[in-house]
Amino acid sequence: MTTPSRRDLEQLSAYLDGQLSQSDRARLEIRIKSDAGLAAALEELRQTRAFLRRTPQRHAPRNFTLTPGMAGIRPPMPRLVPVLSWASAVAMLFFIFTLGAGLVGQLSLGKTASMNAAVPMGSGAGPLAAAPMAPANANTATMVPVMAAPAPLVPAASGVPATNVPLAASSNPPAAPTPTVEISIMSVEQATPPAVSRFAQSPAAPKSLQRQVNYWLIIWPGMAVILGASAVAAWGLNKRAFQRKNPPR
Amino acid sequence: MDESALIQDAQHGDLQAFNTLVLAYQDVLFNTALRILNDEDQAADAVQDAFLSAFRALTSYRGGSFRAWLLRMVTNACYDELRRKKRRPTTPLEPETADGEEVESPYWLADMHASPEESLDQAELEHAVQHCLENLPADFRAVVVLADIQGLDYSEVAVAVHKPLGTIKSRLARARSRLRACLQSYRELLPAAFRLEEERSL
Repeated sequence: MTTPSRRDLEQLSAYLDGQLSQSDRARLEIRIKSDAGLAAALEELRQTRAFLRRTPQRHAPRNFTLTPGMAGIRPPMPRLVPVLSWASAVAMLFFIFTLGAGLVGQLSLGKTASMNAAVPMGSGAGPLAAAPMAPANANTATMVPVMAAPAPLVPAASGVPATNVPLAASSNPPAAPTPTVEISIMSVEQATPPAVSRFAQSPAAPKSLQRQVNYWLIIWPGMAVILGASAVAAWGLNKRAFQRKNPPR
Repeated sequence: MDESALIQDAQHGDLQAFNTLVLAYQDVLFNTALRILNDEDQAADAVQDAFLSAFRALTSYRGGSFRAWLLRMVTNACYDELRRKKRRPTTPLEPETADGEEVESPYWLADMHASPEESLDQAELEHAVQHCLENLPADFRAVVVLADIQGLDYSEVAVAVHKPLGTIKSRLARARSRLRACLQSYRELLPAAFRLEEERSL
C-alpha cells in the first residue's frame, strides 16, 4: 500500500470525472486493483465530491436585471426634442442681437442728441426745443459733461428756473443760464422714447419707418422669449421621458 | 426559451432579451459567488457587477457555453472583491468577555426558532463545506466550486477561469485533496443518515 503522489491524485481525480483517455484509464484501473492505497484515495475523493455536490443551492436574494440607466442606454427622445434642442442657442443669438441692437441704438441716439443740441436748436427749427420741458428728467445731471462744450453756440433761454439744474449748477458755476438750456434739451431727449425722438428731430422722417422700428423692438425680444420657452419645454419633455423609462428602483 | 436568439437580440442592444437571460442564470451566478466569497451581500454585488460587465462585453461573446462565459464574469468580479478585501481587511463583529476574549457562538447569533432536522442537516453540511472552501486559495476555490458544486465540465471550467484544461485538472485534484482532509474533521458531526447515504452511494 503506497501513499498516492500528487500525479496519482490528479489521475484519480480525472478518472473520477471520466476525463482520462482510454489507455490511461485502463492503466490506472490495473494499478487501483493492485494498490490498496490508491483505491482508498479514490474512495475519499469520491466521497469528497459527493459531499460537495450536496451543498444546498440558494435562490438569488433579488433579481439582478439591468435598468436602461444601469446599462447606459438613453431612452428615445420625443420627436419635438431634436428640433427644440437648438431653440436655446437660437434664443441666445436673438437675445445678443437684441441687446446689441439696443446698445447701438442708444449710442447713435447719443450722437444725434449731441448734434441736435449743437446745431438745429440754435436755428430754432427743432419742434422739441421748448425749454420748459427740461425738469421732467432726473438724469439730466449725467449729460452735463457732454453738453458743456457746445454750450456757447446755444442762445440763452429766458425764464428757466435755476432749480431745474441740480448738478449742473454745481459743476458750472456762475455763468449758469447757458448750461441750463442745454440740459433742458437733453432731458427732452431722455424723456422721449428713443425711436420716436430719433425721427422726431428730423421732420422729414417718414411715418412708416417709425412704425417699422417700433415693431422690430417688440418682435426680436418676443422671438427670444418664445424660443427660450421652447428650450425649457424641450428640456422638460426630455427629462420626463427619461424618468418614465427609468423609474426609481 | 431560445437562448441563442436571446443572446443575439441582446448583442443588438435588446435589454429585455438580456434580462431574460439574467433571470435564467442569476441563481447559478449567485451561488458561485456566494461559495467563493462566503458573504451574501458581497456575492450579490459581484453578481450585479458581473451582469453589467456581461452586457457591456456581450459583443465579445463568440459562441460556446453561455453559462461558462457568464461564470467567467462573476469569477472575475469575485477575484476583484477578494483583492479588495485583502487590501482592506475588516474586523469581525464578535462580542468579548470581561477578560477581553472573544465569545464563540454568541447567543445573540443563535436561531431561537426550532428548525426541522432536515434543514439542520443542510445547515451543518453548508457550514462544513463553506468553512473548508474558505481555507483554499482563491484559484483552487473557484475551480472546485464550478466543477463540483455547480457541476460544470472541465472545458466549461476552463472557459470560466480562463485557464488551460491541464491547469484545471491539476487544481481540481489538489483542491479535492485539501478539502478531503478538511472535511474529515466534520464527517463525525454530520447526521448519521447522511453518512449512510454517502456510503450507499459508493
